Amino acid sequence: MKIKSFLLIILFFAISKIHISFADEAKMTKGLEIFNETAGCAACHVLKAAGSEGNIGPNLDTVAGLNYDSVMDIVTHGLGVMPAFGEDEILTKEEIDIVSFYVANSVGK
Amino acid sequence: MSKNKTKLNLNRRNFLTGTAALAGVAATASVVPISIANANHTPLNENTKGLPDFINWKDRSALIVHSNKGIETHRSAIGESLITPNRNVYIRNNMPTMTDDQIGNRKNWKVSIEGVKNPKTFTLSQLQKLGHTTMATILQCSGNGRGFFKHKPRGSQWKTGAAACIFWTGVPMKTVVDACGGISGDSVYMTSEGVDHVPTGLDPKKAMIARSVPKKVYKDAMLAWEMNGVPVPNAHGGPLRMITPGYFGINNVKHLGKVAFTSQESSVKYMKKSYRISPIGKKGSQYPSCWEMPVKSWITRPTDETGTVKAGKVQIVGVAMGGTRKVKSVKVSVDGGSSWKKAKFIGPDLGKYAWRQFVFETTLSSGKYNIASLASNGKDKQPELRMENRRGYAHNGWKDHSVNITVV
Repeated sequence: MKIKSFLLIILFFAISKIHISFADEAKMTKGLEIFNETAGCAACHVLKAAGSEGNIGPNLDTVAGLNYDSVMDIVTHGLGVMPAFGEDEILTKEEIDIVSFYVANSVGK
Repeated sequence: MSKNKTKLNLNRRNFLTGTAALAGVAATASVVPISIANANHTPLNENTKGLPDFINWKDRSALIVHSNKGIETHRSAIGESLITPNRNVYIRNNMPTMTDDQIGNRKNWKVSIEGVKNPKTFTLSQLQKLGHTTMATILQCSGNGRGFFKHKPRGSQWKTGAAACIFWTGVPMKTVVDACGGISGDSVYMTSEGVDHVPTGLDPKKAMIARSVPKKVYKDAMLAWEMNGVPVPNAHGGPLRMITPGYFGINNVKHLGKVAFTSQESSVKYMKKSYRISPIGKKGSQYPSCWEMPVKSWITRPTDETGTVKAGKVQIVGVAMGGTRKVKSVKVSVDGGSSWKKAKFIGPDLGKYAWRQFVFETTLSSGKYNIASLASNGKDKQPELRMENRRGYAHNGWKDHSVNITVV
């Protein structure tokens, strides 16, 4: 009985992990689409993982300390010539979440 | 001609009282990706790992790379000999550095002068025949010290190294104005415009670096073509850069294409919305622009960068600036601000717009010390704490700029 419960728990965690990984993968795919097309981030930024070569803003692969929170903050509020994608409702909150997740998990790759 | 009644709000202290905020900007229009810019320099053939190509001639060991467009000078590398060598000078460019191809023949670079009795366009060659002067000024990013703010403002997390003291050579702006018959009308501002947005194809309203400063600035301003004895590098705004002494870096417009005496501030985003010193959580053009730099100083040696210090006689060295006034005195504390002693200025006095080096000789026994410096320009002195603001601008509080050292 104990072994059965143990196996069930293992199975539960395994399925959860697969589910999360599928969700992450879908988010990365959608994030790439937002980065390159919907938001047009690629036109201004280098991000090797996205194959982008824009040179208006910083090369995202070189930005020190870049993470999900910092990307979301800057995408939402803008900076300099970069539009405030959130404040100006250029992207939805969900899109900002997805593209921030994508960038934070793509830099340096 | 109607009398212009526009007045300047120079009262920085009241900046916290404003409330309204401007509407956000629209999405960027079509953008043309361009390749990484090249600079008019050759590499040092040393370790340039982590430096972008356009500044591969810089000294990597002197620099902290926040991104390929935000590069800071180490505290200990801003210039032990007063002037900051070009290879150590920080990089903060809002637009991509223009390439040699985009610039073309530097002698033929053009700048137009407007808001004067006889508006003219000068080539660089013509400016070089018009007048000649050299001046030392401090170039400092408005956000220098942002890295000390606890609310983590957006932008590069500069500590002390988005600043440099530089010899500029060029023509006095006053000479240029005189050659154009003097200023016309009742202008209030001198507005400088860069052209580095042009190759990007971006909307000038959103991307042009145009900065209006009080008209009086023209009397000490210059159009510079040399930086520390060499043509102004592309990465620092060559072939021609506006120098507005005592004013934050952004007002020293790079790749200068136009100077106009105007009755209104420029309406571009970089003037109306960006570089405004507003309370945390608020923004808008009613708040003061990043103009005059405040009095400031900081220790450059010894620091945590220079390692432990041997007990005995210690030379505490730093730089001090007065902003738009001459720096008058500097005090140093080795006990976190509990007690202060006067430091001695050393080296040449290069004028009120340059910083001065100071030294404080003391004897320290083994232990841990917090070393701070406090400068005064006779009118203002450095506050203890930072002035909290949304974007982390204009930090001159002495406490955050202090250093901790270990004496063994």
